[in-house]
Amino acid sequence: MIVGNVRIDFEPRLKSPRWLMVAVPVLSLVFALIVAAIFLLATGHSPITAYGRILDKGFLSFYGITDTLGLATPLICTGLAAAFAFRMNLFNIGEEGQMYLGMIGGAWAGIVLVESLPTLFAVPIVLLVGAATGAMWVLVPALLRAKLGTSEIVSTLLLNYVALNLVNFFIFGSRTVLRDPSPFPDGQAVADSARLDRFGTTNTYPTLVIAIALAVLLWVFIRYSNYGYETSVFADSPNTARYAGMSAGWLTLSVLLGSGALAGLGGAMYVVGPAGKVDPGLLQLGLGYAGIVVAALARYNFLAVILTAILFAGLRVGGAALQVSSDPVPISIAVVIQGAVLLFALGGEMFRRNRLRVRRVAAAGGVA
Amino acid sequence: MNANVWVLTFADAIAIATTLILASIGAMLTERSGVINLGVEGYLLMGAVSSFLIGMSTENVWLALFLPILVGVAMALVHAVLTISLRANQIVSGLAMVIFGTGLSSFLGKSAEGNRRPVTITDMDLGALSDIPFFGPVIFGHDPITYVTWLIAIVASLYLNRTRPGLVVRATGDAPATVDAQGVSVTAVRYAHTLMGGAFMGFAGSWFMLARGTAWSQGATTAGIGWIALALVVFAAWRPLRAVGGAVLFGFTLQVPFTLQAQQINVLAPEIVKMLPYVVTLVVLVALSTPRARKVLGAPKMLGIPFVRDER
Repeated sequence: MIVGNVRIDFEPRLKSPRWLMVAVPVLSLVFALIVAAIFLLATGHSPITAYGRILDKGFLSFYGITDTLGLATPLICTGLAAAFAFRMNLFNIGEEGQMYLGMIGGAWAGIVLVESLPTLFAVPIVLLVGAATGAMWVLVPALLRAKLGTSEIVSTLLLNYVALNLVNFFIFGSRTVLRDPSPFPDGQAVADSARLDRFGTTNTYPTLVIAIALAVLLWVFIRYSNYGYETSVFADSPNTARYAGMSAGWLTLSVLLGSGALAGLGGAMYVVGPAGKVDPGLLQLGLGYAGIVVAALARYNFLAVILTAILFAGLRVGGAALQVSSDPVPISIAVVIQGAVLLFALGGEMFRRNRLRVRRVAAAGGVA
Repeated sequence: MNANVWVLTFADAIAIATTLILASIGAMLTERSGVINLGVEGYLLMGAVSSFLIGMSTENVWLALFLPILVGVAMALVHAVLTISLRANQIVSGLAMVIFGTGLSSFLGKSAEGNRRPVTITDMDLGALSDIPFFGPVIFGHDPITYVTWLIAIVASLYLNRTRPGLVVRATGDAPATVDAQGVSVTAVRYAHTLMGGAFMGFAGSWFMLARGTAWSQGATTAGIGWIALALVVFAAWRPLRAVGGAVLFGFTLQVPFTLQAQQINVLAPEIVKMLPYVVTLVVLVALSTPRARKVLGAPKMLGIPFVRDER
């Protein structure tokens, strides 16, 4: 770009300096908070009070941070799901629906399959069935993408709306085993053995440990396995991957199914942990969509997903506390911050990868 | 069953179609120049909430209808800076805008939630034409913007296919390097059409609010129409005129569940019926993905790929 007699260029960096890896996400958060502060001020709220409360109720107080970790548990799963697919340029935006299906499948297993089993077996079965139903929900878009090249973006998204109505159908529109027989519409509780006890009096469940372990395992797996290497090559250059004899169809299919399974696992963890049934409350949380933001902010790094998921869960928990304070602020300010963080991070990525060069030129447009 | 009900269903289908046409033409103009904008849902929500709030404070229907266009343009400007100048991933940027728009519209609309729509666009009375059985109410009973929208579709089609700037737009989507070699700025073309697209999306939201919504409620306002508009772009093969027919079809599938519910026809649970528009859309997308259909369709070839001159 040439402005007057100055030429502004982006020059690719050979190596991103370490400080920028930290500075870009931190600055994105700061800028996002500033943007949200403008809207807070415009609607007559004090940003300082609001942010102070988010910080206290979402991160610093004991029950705040444990609530946050509890909410972060399924969010880590949907974040990993998005990161797993997006890093290979497969844009699965159906984590929301796949998570619902995981909840449905997990609850079904918890009611029907595991009644007489001890927790040691019951919980893993519930989680695995949830992962399988989550993967099943992405099967059609995955096959379409792998075989026909249909864009997975719109197809996975449309299925979110189908899944949403499916949850409502099981709770409000039908009398299956998933619904409690009482007249009040509610999910049937799963067997006691299919649930894990919370840590003490907090809202954190042992599934958090599983989610974090999974993130570490995925990181190791993608970094050191042959399969992980193939996905990385494919992500960088599908043509190179093809010339090297890798199967594009198989990689596409398996990555999308894996992504769906991770999101489904998040839904099943919701059953094993706080819900214990098919709970329409999950529909209000938007953890699937948030998972995409969490993954993008983590730049699809599985370990970073843990941190960004906790950050977002804390914003949400703190935002909920704002709603009931003496100066009630709508919880949606948390969503505004989330969206803005991602927008700034996207812009910041360019500055991380490239260096801005400003040079003087003799005559405008003369220098190539 | 009352035949009148189906007349109303068709009339409503055409009304929903107006939103879909405006939003999808916005998406088409953007995509034809090579930029994907997945943010439609966020633009619609922001257009709707700003139209509601402007209507509340000014009580002027024209301000409420047209000012949200600027909101759409502002959002598109952010998308353009990120994706065209900073070469950010267009898909993630679009999604970020959906999340941002969802959050902000809900935040700004919170104080107005449940309020009745302050101003409204009234349907035109075309006299004798409206009295024709069936076609009268279905085709002639709408507000002026509905007809303007059909006109917009025709103009957009002529623009893309019959004018020189339209040719440049299509070329920018298919072969930006060639356009660049001709001395036309790819960046300028893409900026212009991304902003124009945002304008249409914001307008679609404000029209939807003023003509269709009764009260502001974020959950009930758009309910995924933005995403259906994106499916419609593929369905219509990036051609504005085809979007009109497709939009009526999509509008009908969106409206039928409500008609069935109102008529207490309970062949299927309402939750199942509500899935149908999305399932139908998905089936249509599948049908369009067969190799034969794909050849006819012709998506812009460089869709989603930033243009960098030095890397050629």
